[in-house]
Amino acid sequence: MTLLHHKVDREAGAQPASRRRRRGSGVWKVALVFLAPTLLLLLVLRVIPITEAIVASFQRSPSRVAPPRWVGFENYEALLSNGDFAQVLGVTGLFILIIIPFQVISAIFLALLLNERFPGLGIVRAFIFVPVAAPAAVATVVWGVAFQPQGPINAVLEAVGIPGQPFLTSPDQALLAIIILMSWIGVGYWTLFLVAGLQDIPHELYEAASIDGAGWWRSFFSITLPNLRRTLAFIIVADTVASLIAFVPVALLTRGGPADSTRLIMYDAYNNTFVLGDPHLGQAEVTILILVLVAITALQFRLLGREKES
Amino acid sequence: MRKHYRYIAVAVAAATIAGIAGCSATDGGDGGGSESGTVTLLMADPQENVQPALDAFAEAYPDITVEYEYVPFDQFNNLIEQRVGGGDDSVDVYAVDSGAVGSLATKGYLVDLTDDFADKVASDSLPATADANTFDGKLWSVPLWTSLQYLYYNKDLLDAAGVAYPSQNLDEAATYQQLLEDSKKVQAAGATWGLLFGQINRYYQLQPLVESAGGGSGVAGDDLLTADINNEGWLSAMDWYSQLFEDGVAPRGIATEQMSALFATGEAAYLVNGPWQIAQNIAEDKVNYGVAANPVWEGGDPAMSTGSWNLGINPATDNLEASKTLIEFLSLTQEGNSAAAEPQGTSPTFNASFDEFVNGLDARDGERTAGLGELTSALLNNTAVNRPNSPGFTQMADVTGRAFEDIRNGQDVKATLDDAQAELQGLWDRLK
Amino acid sequence: MILPNQMGTTRPRRVIVATVAWTVGILFALPLVWMLASSFRTSGDIFSSVYPFNPNILIPRTFTLENYSKLLTGQFGLSVFNSIVVTSITVVVGLFLSAMAAFALAQLKFRGAGIVFAVIVLSFLIPFDAIAVPLANLFRDWGLANSYLGLILPGIANGFAIFVLRQFFLAIPAELAEAARMDGLSWWGIFWQIYLPLSKPALIGAGFTLFLFQWSAYLWPLLIATRPSVMLGPIALTNLATAQEVNFGAIFAGAVLLTIVPLVLLLIFQRHFTASLASTGSKG
Repeated sequence: MTLLHHKVDREAGAQPASRRRRRGSGVWKVALVFLAPTLLLLLVLRVIPITEAIVASFQRSPSRVAPPRWVGFENYEALLSNGDFAQVLGVTGLFILIIIPFQVISAIFLALLLNERFPGLGIVRAFIFVPVAAPAAVATVVWGVAFQPQGPINAVLEAVGIPGQPFLTSPDQALLAIIILMSWIGVGYWTLFLVAGLQDIPHELYEAASIDGAGWWRSFFSITLPNLRRTLAFIIVADTVASLIAFVPVALLTRGGPADSTRLIMYDAYNNTFVLGDPHLGQAEVTILILVLVAITALQFRLLGREKES
Repeated sequence: MRKHYRYIAVAVAAATIAGIAGCSATDGGDGGGSESGTVTLLMADPQENVQPALDAFAEAYPDITVEYEYVPFDQFNNLIEQRVGGGDDSVDVYAVDSGAVGSLATKGYLVDLTDDFADKVASDSLPATADANTFDGKLWSVPLWTSLQYLYYNKDLLDAAGVAYPSQNLDEAATYQQLLEDSKKVQAAGATWGLLFGQINRYYQLQPLVESAGGGSGVAGDDLLTADINNEGWLSAMDWYSQLFEDGVAPRGIATEQMSALFATGEAAYLVNGPWQIAQNIAEDKVNYGVAANPVWEGGDPAMSTGSWNLGINPATDNLEASKTLIEFLSLTQEGNSAAAEPQGTSPTFNASFDEFVNGLDARDGERTAGLGELTSALLNNTAVNRPNSPGFTQMADVTGRAFEDIRNGQDVKATLDDAQAELQGLWDRLK
Repeated sequence: MILPNQMGTTRPRRVIVATVAWTVGILFALPLVWMLASSFRTSGDIFSSVYPFNPNILIPRTFTLENYSKLLTGQFGLSVFNSIVVTSITVVVGLFLSAMAAFALAQLKFRGAGIVFAVIVLSFLIPFDAIAVPLANLFRDWGLANSYLGLILPGIANGFAIFVLRQFFLAIPAELAEAARMDGLSWWGIFWQIYLPLSKPALIGAGFTLFLFQWSAYLWPLLIATRPSVMLGPIALTNLATAQEVNFGAIFAGAVLLTIVPLVLLLIFQRHFTASLASTGSKG
């Protein structure tokens, strides 16, 4: 804050007079000053490269030495007619259908828990959030060991009489295992949003409900959830985006297997671009992914309804 | 992937620009040109592993500065694709993985070194290494290190089961089939695991299994772009491999990195792995081990994983002459090649360095490494099979790696190999 | 009075709530505790103790500080330092730029605000990994490879941070700004003296976003900063796993070191963080 104050004094002293003169039509110029650095950076660092990438998805180059040649939709056709890509889409769709409800409901549960009063609240909150801060690759390795058929999780299961599970070595369980892993890493982040959202709900609403004789469940469904609607909508979309672009767990642990059961789209694109050396195909996949993301986000803004124009 | 030996490539010598080419220290060829300026060397090993070699180079060529950069091994090939493929002139010399030579050469990522070094490599380096760096009749990189595999065994566990130790004699090498049977006996007598492979599910590790079983390398055709990974030999080898896990002789779900730890802590009867295992055995100090000859398929030809990092030059380099000097020193002089191999105990490729290396092997760990020198020589000179230099090698390593993992996890062998064959051929068709 | 939004109404209920909460907390902490314990062991000890169920899973049989001492005195120590420097600069500069942009979008009415907003939202929908390669080539051409500047630049333009700050700014009553304008305060003044001081929670929230992005960046530093002098923590961490040998003890020690910094920051700023995000979703 001190740093900012210094700057404030300097700036405020230096500029007010000229700004006053240009108040009317000057908004645009002021806006420019405020926005220029960021916009420039975003343009150069995001928009231009993504345009280049999308353009690249319409090209092919068997060898880097020769310049790429334009092939129109060939890469997309190759993708869409390829049975493997259908598998990728299927797995990704299933993945999202499971992970989003799982994480959102978990986050709600955890937020409600953190909204209670009990000793050690701060510590538990820290434990829930710290995984977000751990390096993803290491968290993945740790869970990889945990899920081993002869690993700690099975050790515990077997100690209580449940047979050990194959986890990542079985096409039926691998995706779920990845989902659990990713949820451990990320759910703390969304939980915090919800905790804040819960604290924001005016107490008067609950007081009124209590006077009406409503218990916990009633007030949960009639007050809590409706007031969390916007936070939830925001979380659902942000989580979908985050989940769709994550690929480290798959890259390190399963490489799309067993039997392609964890072959998510971002991993496949990464694999095509970096490992298999076919970046144009990878870019085509990424472009499809971005279209999906844009569609989902647009949907959210629609659902959020007409409130301040966003 | 390959095995790696860490080499210390230390570099960084402060060079003063002197402008005159003069230092020649290298015998041979017209390879040594002007020796000054800066050369950037990109490898997948931490600097400390390469430091002695770089120090030696700095002493021999004080006018050339070597800037060292390194990236994680897992990302190395990808990085090369991005940087050398993107025409980055800030990379001069870089490590070339065995098996990748064909694909790198086809894509134009390497300088043709035939005129400069082909003769020297052929006469002064281990025979298999010359082949490993050749594609389409030309030499594209020079060998730096090579690798080999031994069959390690846990003497105490074998004794408890009354199983005889495997032989160091190549003619009497244990067979995969026999090892499977013996493993079960040793496990019945108390061992947790039977036979492990160091780099489980990697083409590098399993290629000899398949080749020995008569399946070839999986690459066919004149253009080396015809897939052949579901033939008889592959099927038999993979059936055996599947059984290894099905019968509980080796574990599922455990990553490569843990394999050596399992053996070093005395949990496994046998392990097929490279010489770097010895250092870990010594460090953990828990296993009374012996070293025997690499296994062979019953009735098949012996085959053993080999090959490691080599050195190539980026065509976009801005200092070609100094680059050539650097790679010549590290590969084709005893001083350079030995210094490079020393830190990690990897095997050098220059003949004189190799002889020196082999002589020191027996003494590494007393009794346990007795006879190692002769074994190493015999293995490298007779059984090494290189990874094929197909232009589509990375695709093959990726596709087969996933297939091996699926087979390991119990998927049907034939179906998996058939799918992999189709996928690989599809990928290779895009390269033609 | 106890409101119906609390479950812990009676004493037995409170006990249950506390038990559940602690169980959840412990479950979340377990993997990290295991990682911490393993950082003091040798690789062999780590893996020979994970099965079957036994107390040695968490209690090391061997104890060594070697993993840490080797790391801190080597390349890894330098990389952590680099990470700290790069991330701090990213957060400070990034917050400044993001807050400016968010302010403009929230308070200044100008033509094209919608488009600008769309660009900003779009920017965080683009997976950074998808553009890292063309961007890296660009940076190399501009001579930004292997430099702090090259590492910092992509991190300071963060659409998500702008979004969060904008939402918060929108919730600040417009009358404050109007009154200040009447008094003749410039837009800069309003920004500095009114909005920023009121936004501490959102700044912390956005700051964390910037921090996490830069602290855990992997692909970008891999592409343009491979000289040992500018290498960052996550890369150095992965470099500990070489082709044939992976020293897990060292890797876990490195991971612990890399997690401690955000953990400490989190503990300090926790309270503010939750308050900041309150205005993001619920007030639109």
